[in-house]
Amino acid sequence: MKKKTDVVVIGGGCIGAAIAYELAKIGVNDVVLVERDTLSSGATGRCAGGARQQWSEPANVLLAKASIEKFKRFEEEMGRDIGLVNGGYLLCAHTPDEAERFKKNVKMQRECGVDVRIVDPKEINEITPCLNTETIVCGAYCPDDLHADPFLAVQGWAENAMRLGADVELHTEIKGFKKKGNRVVTVLTNRGDIDCNWVVNAAGPWSQDVGRMLGIELGTYAERHQIAVTEPVQRMLWPLVVDFQVAIYFRQSAHGSFVFGHSDPNEKPSYNIRGTWGFLQHISKKLTYMVPSLKDICIVRQWAGLYDMSPDAQPILGKVSDEAENFLVAIGYSGHGFMLAPVTGVLMAELIAYGQARSQPIEPLSIKRFQGAKKHKEHNVV
Amino acid sequence: MINTEILVIGGGPAGLCAAAEAAEHGAKVLLLDDKDVLGGQLVKQTHMFFGSHLQYAGTRGIDIATLLIENAKKTGVELMPGHTVTGIYEDGVVTALNGGKFIKIKPEKIIVATGAYENMLAFPNSDLPGVYGAGAVQTLMNVNGVAPGNRVLMVGAGNIGLIVAYQLLQAGIDVAAVIEVTDKIGGYYVHANKIRRMGVPILTRHTVKQVWGKKSVEGATVVQVDDKFRPIAGSERNYAVDTVCLAVGLTPLTELLWNAGCEMKYIPALGGHVAWHDENLRTSRENIYVCGDASGIEEASSAMIEGKVAGLNAARTLTRKTNLTQKAYDERLKDLRAQLGQLRRGPFGEKARMGNSVLAGLPPAIDEPIESLPKDYRTFPKGARVVIECEQNIPCNPCEAICPHNAIKVGKDIVNYPQLDPEKCTACALCLTRCPGLSLFVVNKDYSPTETEISLPFEMIPLPRKGDAVDALDRQGNFVCKARVTRVLTGKKFDRTSIVSIAVEHKYADTARHFRVNGTPRLEQKIVAPANIPEDMDAIICVCEDVTRREIEKVIARDRAQSVDEIKRLLRCGMGPCQGKTCQRLIMQILAGKLGRNIAEFLPQTYRGPMKPAPMGILAKAYDEEKN
Repeated sequence: MKKKTDVVVIGGGCIGAAIAYELAKIGVNDVVLVERDTLSSGATGRCAGGARQQWSEPANVLLAKASIEKFKRFEEEMGRDIGLVNGGYLLCAHTPDEAERFKKNVKMQRECGVDVRIVDPKEINEITPCLNTETIVCGAYCPDDLHADPFLAVQGWAENAMRLGADVELHTEIKGFKKKGNRVVTVLTNRGDIDCNWVVNAAGPWSQDVGRMLGIELGTYAERHQIAVTEPVQRMLWPLVVDFQVAIYFRQSAHGSFVFGHSDPNEKPSYNIRGTWGFLQHISKKLTYMVPSLKDICIVRQWAGLYDMSPDAQPILGKVSDEAENFLVAIGYSGHGFMLAPVTGVLMAELIAYGQARSQPIEPLSIKRFQGAKKHKEHNVV
Repeated sequence: MINTEILVIGGGPAGLCAAAEAAEHGAKVLLLDDKDVLGGQLVKQTHMFFGSHLQYAGTRGIDIATLLIENAKKTGVELMPGHTVTGIYEDGVVTALNGGKFIKIKPEKIIVATGAYENMLAFPNSDLPGVYGAGAVQTLMNVNGVAPGNRVLMVGAGNIGLIVAYQLLQAGIDVAAVIEVTDKIGGYYVHANKIRRMGVPILTRHTVKQVWGKKSVEGATVVQVDDKFRPIAGSERNYAVDTVCLAVGLTPLTELLWNAGCEMKYIPALGGHVAWHDENLRTSRENIYVCGDASGIEEASSAMIEGKVAGLNAARTLTRKTNLTQKAYDERLKDLRAQLGQLRRGPFGEKARMGNSVLAGLPPAIDEPIESLPKDYRTFPKGARVVIECEQNIPCNPCEAICPHNAIKVGKDIVNYPQLDPEKCTACALCLTRCPGLSLFVVNKDYSPTETEISLPFEMIPLPRKGDAVDALDRQGNFVCKARVTRVLTGKKFDRTSIVSIAVEHKYADTARHFRVNGTPRLEQKIVAPANIPEDMDAIICVCEDVTRREIEKVIARDRAQSVDEIKRLLRCGMGPCQGKTCQRLIMQILAGKLGRNIAEFLPQTYRGPMKPAPMGILAKAYDEEKN
């Protein structure tokens, strides 16, 4: 392992791997990506792999739009098939109120240049004949959204980062930092120390712990979210479906299996990632309500992953403290890290290489926003 | 939610004994098993068991199953066959599926007696129909009455390989050969001798190179290996077989224990990863016990006693005080431990002794020397008596128990060689029908001036008739001489083993040990493998997701994958319905080989519930029922 480098990126999930790759791509290739376990062993490897542009906050829409464009070019750029399903995203509304909100969002999203539209139950039936539309008032459908295999994507970023000169150090755990004045000068790991110019915290649900090693409270916390997968079946569903009322999201992967999960409003912050039998029953109830023909299909596995939650469910990017001015974060994705990873990679690489994010402003995602009075919470979270 | 004091998972010998023991001491016990018929592997075992009479030695496995089920019922155990346990959750709830229902059980103690699963081998075309695990062959043949094929190559000469080869012959299915990759037969020689004298060759230091066939197996190539298990070029032999039966060892079935968060240890002598457990079979989770093959691979006799130890201790540690007194507990435990110690004596108990010592962090257990020495009973000048051809220190003593004249002595140490007192032996031949190894014979040198009569245990059909002319065979199945059937004895007391006596010339008294009824000698068919099989053909490792050896080797080399989990993420191997039971061990072997590391360094993939695929309609119904 290198003893000295330009940038140390902490975390071998999608965010860290994308940052390492984009840095190397624009010429900052003296990079060491450190991962405590193996690639995708944290939140990324447990996520469902969806990527959508349908957000309630314009900043999120623009970030997601840039990401989707990058996902579409992924195979061409990286030389790796990531099980991409170009099936779009379908959001379902069950009440007039919800329908109103959808309409407002769609208008805003269209102004951002996203190909999204309101669809009535009849059209929903055409898009997804398997879906139970009994109680659905309307949907918001973006054919441009997609879903993919997170493991393969991370592998693609990491191997291309390495090809361009970056180092990926697995089984390397951060033990602390050494500072000189208001700069972090050394990253201490279980495999030795690395002197560096920049440190990027991309530790996902463990971002709070990394912050605390420098005495910084980042305000992020880990929260368990459960998920399950069925045996593979013939292709019957293209879009990833999100239903905020039923509180479920589900997709059919390139492999044919259904992957689905929900958020439990009673979940408390913790690092617990054990599955519960209650989830198994509840999610089956929900999914068989949405897609009744799945009732004889079997769940083969259940698991749980951690969301790295931020106070407003939006990511935190960039510098976080004057006490550590070369310590950057890309954290708090609150369940949307995978879909924002491609654009995060670009923005963070630009921030380090050019001193500012050139392709999009990241100030709205600065940690400073929590100091102000006005907060814009992202509503389209599942 | 069903409440119970003790939940036993698995209704094989260990589980049934655990449940009965706990219930006998006053505990409320529920037993679940995924099969509709209880008894575990016992229901497939048509042979007589070894061990002592305390574990039903000399009784056939299938009959032991009946005895154990009856006993469990008598003690008040609630038996629930047809229920597959799908998980042990953090809140202590155990979930199970039966046909149309998803049930939840909240026990105070859990005894995991889930047994083992079979190890697989990967070779070119190992996914062709006709390649079976020995368990499947036994199920087809002995449970469903279906012949798996017409001619079988048996891979593995441990007890399972030898026993199943014998059962195949009993079912009228030819066994081309038994091959074994190590340099010695791992199973009991008495089992090996049963098939050898029927002419089945046992080739040590041989493995399967490939099988071939258009739609199913048509033939197999075996190859000799050197002392590092590398194939020796030019040593190939081909067999025209339609079935290849794999009996290459068992792995403890521990997914529920991983799932429950028990501390696991890799102990090769016990068959792989097992839950750490103390002498009372309690795991690192204090309310979870483990017994039988799930706690380390051993014989069914040890599994029964382990079950009793686990059941006794689970009952003893219940919050509610049962009728079990301290004194009764102490005595019972001492007795069970002594029985277990007996079964683990001698060369065949070495793995269990060693494995359990390593598990407990103790120095290797020292086995007291075995006192008795084998005696050569084969030659004696005249008269009639039993000849004992038991050549190993197997824990077994039914011959001693059955002899009405006290002529056979094994003694307290059941791994002793049986000793015959020729003065007491009346050559009544009763012991012939009780020896699980079929290694006792009666030789009557006074049968006639020119002939010796040899009586032998016989478990084949059709039975010969008195007066039939047969070919006498030696211990390797070679033709010795023409012979004549002098007697055929059957009887209820004999428990389906017949005694057939044949008369041979005196000079063959010590060589003739079997016979052939409709005598055509076995011929080894010379065939060649089709030329279109590429020398370096790939092999499927993960059968559920169709992942090959070469794909796995590629992600190890190209993507630097160093663990089962990383390979799983990149290739999906182990993500199918079997959750890695077939491929996991093979992947660890490939990793160990490619990275030059010890297989003990690798962890299996993370086990996740539900342990068996669970239909969503049934899960949803369970949700509705709870709501209402």
